[in-house]
Amino acid sequence: MRRDRDWTGYGFLLPYLMLFGMFLVLPMVFGLGLSFFRYEMLSKEPAKFVGLENYREALWLPHADGTRGDAYFRQALWATVRFVVLAAPLTVTFALLLALGISMAPERRQNIYRLMVFVPTMITISVVGILWRWFFADQFGLFNIWLTRLHLREVHWLTDVNMAMKSLVLMTLWWTVGGPVVVLLAGIKQIPDAYYEAAAIDGATGWRRCWYITLPMLKPVLLFVIVLNVIGAWQVFGQPFIITSGGPERSTLVLMQYIYVTSFLNYRLGYGAAMSWLLFLLIAAFSLVQFRLMREK
Amino acid sequence: MKEPWYSRAGIEALVVLTALLFVAPVVLIYVTSLKPEAEIVKFESVWPKDAREGIRKNYEYVLKTPEEIPIFRWLGNSILVSSSVTLLVLTVDSLAAYALARLRLPGKKYVFAMIIGTLMVPGQILLVPVYLILNKLGWIDTPWALIVPHGAGAFGVFLLHQFFKAIPKELEEAAMLDGAGKLRIWWNLMLPLSKPALATLAIFTFVGSWNDFLGPLVFLDSVEKYTLPVGVALFQSSYSSEYGLTLAASVICTTPILLIFLVFSRQIIRGMAMSGLKE
Repeated sequence: MRRDRDWTGYGFLLPYLMLFGMFLVLPMVFGLGLSFFRYEMLSKEPAKFVGLENYREALWLPHADGTRGDAYFRQALWATVRFVVLAAPLTVTFALLLALGISMAPERRQNIYRLMVFVPTMITISVVGILWRWFFADQFGLFNIWLTRLHLREVHWLTDVNMAMKSLVLMTLWWTVGGPVVVLLAGIKQIPDAYYEAAAIDGATGWRRCWYITLPMLKPVLLFVIVLNVIGAWQVFGQPFIITSGGPERSTLVLMQYIYVTSFLNYRLGYGAAMSWLLFLLIAAFSLVQFRLMREK
Repeated sequence: MKEPWYSRAGIEALVVLTALLFVAPVVLIYVTSLKPEAEIVKFESVWPKDAREGIRKNYEYVLKTPEEIPIFRWLGNSILVSSSVTLLVLTVDSLAAYALARLRLPGKKYVFAMIIGTLMVPGQILLVPVYLILNKLGWIDTPWALIVPHGAGAFGVFLLHQFFKAIPKELEEAAMLDGAGKLRIWWNLMLPLSKPALATLAIFTFVGSWNDFLGPLVFLDSVEKYTLPVGVALFQSSYSSEYGLTLAASVICTTPILLIFLVFSRQIIRGMAMSGLKE
């Protein structure tokens, strides 16, 4: 092997680095730059540097009625927070319980259960939307047909302001729990048997073993699953966009959808880029805090 | 595992029940798409009374009005886009991963760190700037917009890097003694030896692109260029209360991907597991 400086290897890297630069590094820098401009795609005016004006509009611009910032942005942020707080812990907890349950079954059946739980994840969001809109419909909806048959009161799954987000979370749980289950199950299987054998000699029973061996050993994988899930939840778009279009009364209008509407339906790209960066900062801060908290424990 | 048999059986019964609950909605897509509308809204039984009538009403309409629902057009677009993305990602990522894992490059450490540093960057926040870049390139409303940007993701480079690193040095040295160049080693040694990782990456990339919704929604304008997910979503918005029709379209959209899933389930599951156990 030659030990001198050999640049020819960069030939192999070049195709990827070009794409990486063009569609990852450049958009990040470009997006940040864009967020300091007033740039409306359809207007004849050229992009104009406005400093922090876009951020001010979202966060603290005073209005005549005494409120500050963009009320829709605030509402969208709040809707997103509600989704993250509901969906992420539920998904991870449910996935953990399922993975633990599946890990107790005999090997061959484990594979079948895992496969079954993973099937919904393979289905594209528009099909998921068609299916669950039918389940959730007020009239002729499958859930309400069954509730009526059981002589229970009908639920306004998607039309009740207090219910819509919870319905979306329920659907998300079904759609996305498979991935975390598979990852957690693999993590559980990686724990060496010797630990369990030692615990058995010490007389540890099922729950204690789970609490003192499985969970602590699973921590790195669990951390990975939690962080990934939370990052994903912040970017939620398809579920509310397709199923509720942000309604009723904007109660499920999440940040990504507001960014989409602002940028591509109202053509305010500078403002859209600024909100994207705010979302990015939120996600980054959140992930950092999570890493810190989990590391310390 | 030494739990008493009854608690193990109890837990497994719960698992089975949950697993069935997960599959049931998917089964419902299929059986309900065979029912005429009146039967769906009454929902007296899960199975269709007369599947032929449902097929005639739902599938024939969906398949025989291509000017209104060009579903095979969308299917073709989806196949073209997803296969191209997969081919691009596999080629570009494996070349890069080979260089990063096996070649001596000045400053390699920094390049690798930079690429890995973007693993956690949420792609969706790049939507607006990527749109403007694609617009400058004149790629809006072309398949290129759905294909090329996907090549920038860091996941594949990372996955293949880990795999290539584990291949024994001796094999590479033997090939070099035989006079094989770097390109030959990449093609004749690295790629065949990492088939499982390549298969995993291929399936992940394909499925990810197949299910991509926001990309085609933002980057395409003309209906005949849509991919299945956006096409079906458009269809459902104009026939939102006709469950039979929209479910028949869903079946056409879902079947190819479910087949891939069933055939490659082992690779998919292994890939999912690998993605969480790296480090």
